[in-house]
Amino acid sequence: MQRRDFFKKVGAVVAVSAVIPAMSFAADAKKTVSKNAMSYATALNAITGGKTPTASDKVKLKVPEIAENGAVVPVTVNVDSPMTDADYVKAIHILTSKNFNARTIDIHLTPANGEAMFSTRIKLGGTQDVVAVIELSNGEFLIASQSVKVTIGGCG
Amino acid sequence: MSKSLIKIKPKKYKDGEVVKVNFMVMHPMDTGMGKDKKTKEIIPAKYINSVKFEYNGKVITTMNVWESLSVNPVFTTSMKINGAGKLSVTFTDSTGEVNEASIKIKPKG
Amino acid sequence: MKIGTKIVLSLALLSSFSFAGEQFAMSDADRAMYSEMLENNPADMMVANGEELLAKYGGGEAGLAAFFNVSEEKLPAYIAGFPRYLPEFKQVVALDQALQGLMSKNGHKPFKLKSSDMYDMSAYAKSLANGQKINIDVNANKQMKAARAMGEEVYMTKRGGRGLACNSCHSPDVVGSILRTQPLPAIDGKGNAVAANWPAYRMTKSNMTTLAVRFQGCMNNALLAVIPLGSKEMVALEVYLTNEAKGSEISIPGLKR
Ligand code: HEC
Repeated sequence: MQRRDFFKKVGAVVAVSAVIPAMSFAADAKKTVSKNAMSYATALNAITGGKTPTASDKVKLKVPEIAENGAVVPVTVNVDSPMTDADYVKAIHILTSKNFNARTIDIHLTPANGEAMFSTRIKLGGTQDVVAVIELSNGEFLIASQSVKVTIGGCG
Repeated sequence: MSKSLIKIKPKKYKDGEVVKVNFMVMHPMDTGMGKDKKTKEIIPAKYINSVKFEYNGKVITTMNVWESLSVNPVFTTSMKINGAGKLSVTFTDSTGEVNEASIKIKPKG
Repeated sequence: MKIGTKIVLSLALLSSFSFAGEQFAMSDADRAMYSEMLENNPADMMVANGEELLAKYGGGEAGLAAFFNVSEEKLPAYIAGFPRYLPEFKQVVALDQALQGLMSKNGHKPFKLKSSDMYDMSAYAKSLANGQKINIDVNANKQMKAARAMGEEVYMTKRGGRGLACNSCHSPDVVGSILRTQPLPAIDGKGNAVAANWPAYRMTKSNMTTLAVRFQGCMNNALLAVIPLGSKEMVALEVYLTNEAKGSEISIPGLKR
């Protein structure tokens, strides 16, 4: 192709570059009910089978006190555990106290993980608690929770 | 097909070292309760519901996932390096879509 | 001029301002958590896509270097000098426009400036300059001089229904004040050198866009007529703000609230 030609073409592209409406971020409607709706109490019970988890400082739950944006809230869980075949963290469950479905994610670990840690980002529909429930290989459950103040909802 | 990316941190690691595995997916994580701003129609649910990590054929981590993870979610876990080979991640979503990604594991020293 | 700006600002916006600390008291621990998130930027996936696109439509790094007539070694520093006046285009162009030229030269229909493929590809191309300092030269020629001057004018001119200029919200004397829960960010090299970290991923939008598209976002929000992408004025605005951030280290993709 002739150089002059293609630059003409580019000129045209530049001029035409259409103004496509910006992609919009669909807001979560309040009225719709999901088939997955589950309260915090029901979720906790489903995980522990009715056992009461023990609050423990072996569980480090890191969430911001104030979330800049409810659509993206960082969550990190570290559990102090040797992660050996005899003594390891079997699962980390992350729950929320007020989202329509309290269950957020279950992470099933094995000693091959070397360390019991998990980190992600979650949506919070408003100010509420984020809870980490830990299942140990001996069948015990530990728990840690922290409240997160959301300045703008997950509908940002 | 969902684009995804697996990263091991640090980039250089030794056998026996515990490293971080960072897994990211481009995925809408639609809750099934959001509405399209233009058409006002409900956007059907489509969220990742399971993730499985296999290291040289052995399952090391599995996850059950629900709607509340952020759009384009990130999953970070630990893994103990135990020889050269492959780490593969299989993930499915609530519409039944299945994807797989993998990365070579090459410990130095 | 300066006083005028301040008066307009106080009339138009004072009601919606409050001062940092009142509404938006973020602790250092929170801030640290958010900055840790930078390590896991979803835009890394988009940049990886951009790498594939550039390979497919532009011959990758080598193709780009050849197109610019520089060695591959010098390519990063060259990219760190955009927007540039390119004689073949007979105008000052931003990197994404140059990529349109590359695609066209290779016989492909160029991506639109407002398309995710272009965002991905231009983010990848700019990321080749990561670690380089912005080295735009606004005195290189009369076209660049004119672009910088026009950019400054666009930045300072009050327009729209509320009589706002970019500078009304981003000048040093208002930066840090809060507008509807959002602190007004510095966007020059003195604070947040936006030219060094856009294209960026916006968590509120869950997508990655270019600096010019971000400018359009502000124009929309502040009720200023939206300047089209690729227009002389838009490129000039990018030249002006890039020059304000001259010397800042490029780090692409950025990650924003
Ligand atoms: C009414 C006030 C207002 C006006 C006028 C305004 N902005 Fe902004 N701008 C903001 C606010 C508030 C934010 C931060 C929003 C956020 O964090 O989501 C912002 C963010 C930005 C950013 C992103 C900053 C970053 O951290 O990357 C850029 C770039 C920008 N503005 C450029 C401009 C330009 C160019 C103009 C003129 C066309 C302009 N703005 C006009 C209020 C304004």
